[in-house]
Amino acid sequence: MDAVIATALDTARQRGAQYADVRLVSNREERIVVRNGVVETLSADESVGLGIRALYNGSWGFASTRAITAGAADHAAGQAVQIARASARHNGAGKPAADLLGPAASSRGRYQTPIDIDPFGVSLDDKLALLLAADAGMASVPQISARMANLVFIREERAFANTDGAMVNQTIYEAGGGIQATAVGDGEIQRRSYPQSHGRQQGCAGWEYILAMDLPGNAARTAAEAAELLTAPSCPSDTATDLIIDGSQLALQIHESCGHAVELDRALGDEAAFAGTSFLTPDLLGNFRYGSEQVNISADSISPTGLGTFGWDDEGIAAQATDIIRSGRFVGYLMSREAAARLGMPSNGCTRASSWNRIPLIRMTNVSLQPGDWTLDNLIADTDDGIYLETNRSWSIDDRRYNFQFGTEVGREIRKGKLGRLLRNCTYTGITPQFWQSCDAVCGPQEWRLWGTPRCGKGQPGQIAHTSHGASPARFRQVRVGVLR
Amino acid sequence: MLGPDAIRPLLRAALRHAGAADADIYVAATEQALTRFANNRIHQNVSHQDAVAHIRVADSGRVGRAVTNNFAPAGLTDAVRQAAEHARLMPADPDFPGIPEPRPAAAIDACDADTLACDPERRAAIVGMICRKAAAAQLDGAGFCRTGVTELAVASTRGADAYHAGTFASLLITARRDDASGWAKDGGVSLAAIDAESLADEAVGKAVRGQNPQPLAPGEYPVVLEHYAVGDVLEALSFYGMGAQMVQDGRSWMNDVIGQPAMSPLVSIWDDGTDAGGWPAPFDAEGVPRQRVDIVTDGVALGPVHNSCTAGKDGVASTGHQRGATGGPAATNLFMRPGDRTAEQLIAGVKRGLYITRFYYTRLAHSRGCVMTGMTRDGTFLIENGELTMPVKNLRFTQGYVDALSGCRALSAATHLNLNEAAVAVRAPAALLDSWRFTGQTV
Repeated sequence: MDAVIATALDTARQRGAQYADVRLVSNREERIVVRNGVVETLSADESVGLGIRALYNGSWGFASTRAITAGAADHAAGQAVQIARASARHNGAGKPAADLLGPAASSRGRYQTPIDIDPFGVSLDDKLALLLAADAGMASVPQISARMANLVFIREERAFANTDGAMVNQTIYEAGGGIQATAVGDGEIQRRSYPQSHGRQQGCAGWEYILAMDLPGNAARTAAEAAELLTAPSCPSDTATDLIIDGSQLALQIHESCGHAVELDRALGDEAAFAGTSFLTPDLLGNFRYGSEQVNISADSISPTGLGTFGWDDEGIAAQATDIIRSGRFVGYLMSREAAARLGMPSNGCTRASSWNRIPLIRMTNVSLQPGDWTLDNLIADTDDGIYLETNRSWSIDDRRYNFQFGTEVGREIRKGKLGRLLRNCTYTGITPQFWQSCDAVCGPQEWRLWGTPRCGKGQPGQIAHTSHGASPARFRQVRVGVLR
Repeated sequence: MLGPDAIRPLLRAALRHAGAADADIYVAATEQALTRFANNRIHQNVSHQDAVAHIRVADSGRVGRAVTNNFAPAGLTDAVRQAAEHARLMPADPDFPGIPEPRPAAAIDACDADTLACDPERRAAIVGMICRKAAAAQLDGAGFCRTGVTELAVASTRGADAYHAGTFASLLITARRDDASGWAKDGGVSLAAIDAESLADEAVGKAVRGQNPQPLAPGEYPVVLEHYAVGDVLEALSFYGMGAQMVQDGRSWMNDVIGQPAMSPLVSIWDDGTDAGGWPAPFDAEGVPRQRVDIVTDGVALGPVHNSCTAGKDGVASTGHQRGATGGPAATNLFMRPGDRTAEQLIAGVKRGLYITRFYYTRLAHSRGCVMTGMTRDGTFLIENGELTMPVKNLRFTQGYVDALSGCRALSAATHLNLNEAAVAVRAPAALLDSWRFTGQTV
């Protein structure tokens, strides 16, 4: 493998590249899906390949190959430089690599996700038994028309090297699982998920992560709530009320309204045609009130079980933690080497590619709302009139990350400090800085956890990144709810 | 390209390792080059290729799968053995109808040699022209020019032996300045068929016209949707309900309306993977020939598309709509019947309403009626007395798509192919709809 990587870098240098980096990735994935009592999918996937990125006269080219041979690496490297030359002819003369990329990245070392139980060592019988038990639990509720239970396990070997002298090897494990029950009746359709929606909860972890979810033990309750929602009253319509938002929904709120908004490539216009830009432009860095004093958001690649946790990013920058929002003020971006250099800053290691055949982009790591000091019980008791929202159902935000609208699978009335009736079809909407400025309480570490979001889309060609967000329940004052009718 | 002469012997050899079980292999191989630009310069320029074999082994109703991109003979053989091992461990699926019997699919010539030969210099030249036009209008140009080819192949122990290659080319342009932007996109089998100059003019013109957008109170307005926005509506209706698995689960917008008038009589929607007016692919991931399926005719919802499994449950034949190796069937080659108006006539039919270029970040808010939320983007204008009068700040909507099409008052005669990056093709006209519910506005 080292020889193949060396060949790619040598060819890129010989063809005139100012800088080049190579990633050789071997990905193994196991997916098991049980739908309505039947094992719909039991699949072992493997994908192996090499991608090389070359900088020529200040412009980039990238090529990839699934053949892991010196000849294929040589060809891909030559192709990457050829593409970079075509870019450069259009762009004109560029900066020297050191000016364009900032400080050299010459890390060397090895990293592996800490796990207790290798999920690929657990028998298929055990995995199927767990899913079928969860399915049976959901099937015990008669109104359920569709049931889904699934597990995903990933082991990815990544080797990275660049012409700065970096050479790092990483083994990343991921484990994910979840259940979903859909109830149909009385002209309604309602869904409940566990531990969260979008199919599953996922983390960089081993089989122990799945066991801790206790999918079978939560199946009947999850299905019963879906059935109960069929006849629950609807969310109040088009009014403002206080919201307490649970950690899993807040995780997606952070993802959409903060995580994407602080990607520096978006702020600089690099994603304008697709994902959009950001209202958090560089002139606001350090002097914009994004949220209330209670809002502290950080980005890190070191939290245990986070999907954004690794040893080095895909530019060879070491894992680290960065403040993004400090006491409500916007103080940091997620950055690549090139984007950071445009602000005269060093990268904070947020560049990742979804596969060997995609280029590294700025991606979220673990972007988390830091815990406050409330307990959920005290927060509910302190709320006179409002709604407690749980588990995302729909999500949408504008291309500058201002106007958002979320729906949740379930809401619960709060009246005079106590939880009341279940509510269905709950939605809330707002403008990002106004919303975060309305946050007046955040629950503490005992209710804080990392939530996985393994389907974050960005880039063209499209890439799906795996990110996490830490959150505990938090309260937001006078938020507009109920746009469905 | 791998080519049929390379793929077929590999698949035949690998299938011999399925033992006594039935098996099929679905191959999707793509070579793609994409030149991406922003701020009037090329900032990303990539070429990638991959070939993925999806193996399915079925033994007495027990189905195991494996996926590999290792096309060395040993790689495919190992994957077939892995899938067979999985099948042995699986419980039987009483609904599994078996590996489909082979049926001949139409041969479609969708491979354009000129597009296949496109190099990075040609893409850069196209991008250069766009950036010069944007810069001349004091706008920032962003977008991509992409070309490539997708090869599909299915072989099975039942005798399926299908191969298809289709080239693709797309050009996407956003032109923007401050709080206004314009958009244009085209795509299909051939790069030469894309009028890059006109697209650049379209995006630039819309951005220039959109300067200084004004706020507008949310509410219900008549709308003229450009074909881009109509394409989004059809994609959502497909994704959230045109596949039989969703109908069988009770999760489709169709569930309450099959056989009934659900939309305006002007609305007819069908799926046809063999029509060269779309982005054709003659067979599905099970090797079953794609059939034309009339999904909505004269406003009446007729029914969903099928794969072999959902067809077996409903006692009908597969329509050839299995998309990918797993998951349910999907309608991905959609057509909407055009009307008889020009775009100007559609606008002229509105006293006070909105002209929408496209939608962004549309997501399902409720399954019944396919209620979606999303934003307008890249060109939203107020229509007053039949004319575009002023640009409007982007609005959020929360709207049932079935309801919206029940109020379809007119359609354009011209249609346009919307080919997205996930190979979903929608040929749609522009539409005048009685009402669209806007529930918020951005800053």
